[in-house]
Amino acid sequence: MTETANNTVLQVHNYSLDYLTAGGTFRALKNINLEVGAGEILGLVGESGSGKTSMAWSIMRYLPANARETGGEIRLRGENLTAKSPAEVNRMRGKRISMVFQDPGTSLNPTLSLGTQLTETLRRHRGLTGKQAWSEGEAMLDRVGLKSPAEMMKRMPHEASGGEKQRVVIATAFACNPECIIFDEPTTALDVITSRQILDLFLGLQAETGVASLYISHDLALLSRTARRVAVIRRGEIVEQGAVDDIFNAPQHDYTRQLIAAVPRPSDRLTQTRPSYEDQPLMKVENVSVHYGRKPFLSALTGRSFERFAGNRAVSLSVQPGEILGIVGESGSGKSTLAKAVTGLNPFEGQITFAGRRIAGLADMDRAYRKNVQMIFQHPDASLNPRQKIREILARPLKLYGSGEGGSLPQRIGDMLEQVRLPRTHADRYPHQLSGGEKQRVAIARAFASRPKLVICDEITSALDVSVQASIIELLLELHREHSTAFLFITHDLNLIRQIAHRIAVMYRGDLLEIVPAEEITSPERADYTRRLLAAVPTPAGAPRQNQTSKEH
Amino acid sequence: MIELLKRLLRTPQGAVGLVLVILVFIVVIFGPLLAPRDPEAMSILARYKGPSANFLLGTDQYGRDILSRLLIGARSTVTMAVFATLAGTFAGAFIGTVSAFLGGRADEIIMRTIDAIMAIPNLLFALLIVNLLGSSSINALVAVAVAFAPGMARITRSVALAVRKQDYVSAAIARGESSSYIILREMLPNVVAPIVVETTIRVSFAVMLFATLSFLGLGAQPPATEWGLMVSEARQYMHISAGILIWPSLAIAIVAIGFNLLGDGLRDALNPRTGG
Repeated sequence: MTETANNTVLQVHNYSLDYLTAGGTFRALKNINLEVGAGEILGLVGESGSGKTSMAWSIMRYLPANARETGGEIRLRGENLTAKSPAEVNRMRGKRISMVFQDPGTSLNPTLSLGTQLTETLRRHRGLTGKQAWSEGEAMLDRVGLKSPAEMMKRMPHEASGGEKQRVVIATAFACNPECIIFDEPTTALDVITSRQILDLFLGLQAETGVASLYISHDLALLSRTARRVAVIRRGEIVEQGAVDDIFNAPQHDYTRQLIAAVPRPSDRLTQTRPSYEDQPLMKVENVSVHYGRKPFLSALTGRSFERFAGNRAVSLSVQPGEILGIVGESGSGKSTLAKAVTGLNPFEGQITFAGRRIAGLADMDRAYRKNVQMIFQHPDASLNPRQKIREILARPLKLYGSGEGGSLPQRIGDMLEQVRLPRTHADRYPHQLSGGEKQRVAIARAFASRPKLVICDEITSALDVSVQASIIELLLELHREHSTAFLFITHDLNLIRQIAHRIAVMYRGDLLEIVPAEEITSPERADYTRRLLAAVPTPAGAPRQNQTSKEH
Repeated sequence: MIELLKRLLRTPQGAVGLVLVILVFIVVIFGPLLAPRDPEAMSILARYKGPSANFLLGTDQYGRDILSRLLIGARSTVTMAVFATLAGTFAGAFIGTVSAFLGGRADEIIMRTIDAIMAIPNLLFALLIVNLLGSSSINALVAVAVAFAPGMARITRSVALAVRKQDYVSAAIARGESSSYIILREMLPNVVAPIVVETTIRVSFAVMLFATLSFLGLGAQPPATEWGLMVSEARQYMHISAGILIWPSLAIAIVAIGFNLLGDGLRDALNPRTGG
């Protein structure tokens, strides 16, 4: 990339934005100053609610009715966008400035073919005829690396994979050679390997066209690999801005330091325990297969053959007492299906042995089994009933499995909350009154109420911000040390799982490829897929820090 | 609750509906106290009178005061409609939630049965039941409730299916909770909002269904002051005095419109995405 920093394309100067809400005005952005030069990628990093998406919408001039701009300017090549009329903004949008969204599944219209959506921009802004636009569109799809672009143009969004759709969205964004493109977490909704490919495509196109890019992300590790300069935003304020290397190696602001410390680094082991592999395994899963779908009544009558979808194919693995077994794989690889089979949410074929007891099906999962095998779900919003108070949610396992030692029910609920470092008074709240991290703590408290021997964690940190994730992991490991609980830790975050797991199981399309000790995952004898997965994961830049502290405040 | 009321009043249909429904309930509660005359006192000299200072809305074929009859009739007409709808709603909501929870073959059997029942029009179905049980107010109530249950079951099931997929239900199953706990405590509270809306709208259907049943002579029996019955009796004399027919019809229309608007308003108020 050439050094063209003084050739400023996009400039945000002292910009402030308020939202009028029922509870008064909420200041979303405070005196923001940003500059993106031609050919430059500026990373904007922040946690959820920090205002990074508000910033993107302000630049696109697409603000909700209750937004009030209280000062400052947004300039594109010196022209002040805030002073432009809606008609002028309409002409400019898509032509001079465009945007790539997080989820290609929702940013494309499901009722129009990919070609129609791509050519619309071309016809509107470049005045091409239908035919010209169509052939131009094909050329563009070719440019974003799609095989058989002519056929892809005719497809509907549901006939393309997530990666293919995101390529089409990127092609649309680049269609009119805009001066500036805003990328709003373009790879977050995609699988590890796909997102790496999309990222490479983005870097290639960016270098080729020299477009000024504002890359919004919550993923510091990813930004450190793409952007040259990074701005850290927190609660609507830019706390630090500078070159990537400076930010990572010598962060000035406390918040930046916290954020960087919270990024999982494979080199920092967080687990010190060592399970014994000589003992009887705590849980043994043998040849467990899960099939989805039921033979439809009509095909049973007509004798038509019916093929069921296999979620898991003959998976065998074992968990030692007190072991943390990581399961990694892309979406659709059958990680969660396995978790559901083990917790009795899915019927399965095969056999599970738990603490010496044979479990051949759902009927064998009695209260004693369920007491010892607990599950924590991905989205705390969905796993806590919104109509129940925390008190009621936490009281259920106590009522079901017996409250054991230690005082009355309210007393025990308070103790449970304290164990996950929440104030006792939270018992009287509803889930929606808590933050995402606090909700997940409640879910953890519920799972640990029965002192289980095995806890299944299904992507429990993927819906949370980095710093919250770090504190949740810390809490889990503390509970692990204290009760020597075994974990089945399902995740797609390889950096994280390498920090905490004793062994890692790799799954691909319903099959278990291999189980390897965490230290040996990088060795060259690993399966081909494992190596590809590892190569696709961005590892955080900067030297690993010796004294890692990750605290949530 | 206060928040909900505010959001309800922000929409015009919600505000109008609420005012109408409150007025209707005032009449239901205080109607007998407000009625100026005895609703069954006949007067041969004052038949078919138009509105006057003595009879604000005029008199009917027996010289009875129409206003008093309407005020007193509100109690039976509206209460019956509300109770029938509530009974139908509870039955339907329960069946729908159970069906969604069970899933698979049981769900299929329950829903196909309901489809079959729904193929019969509401009125025809109600007539069938009243004919089987004999004509009386209570039987009409049962008939309307039974006629409403399948529709409510369908609506509840579609909402409950979405709730069924939520992780908190999965968590409860994984925890080993009983089916009745999951249905009553985990699922039902989360399907309430759309049911409330549907119930409100259905009250107006029920008012009209009752009126129709009474009109056909299968609901309340004379000399009851039920509004549908009043319309039915007035039919023969409408050439002599139109007021006998118009006033009870208007009363039925006001109740129906009130509940309908309230239902529309509630739908917007209970949906967090449409509220500002």
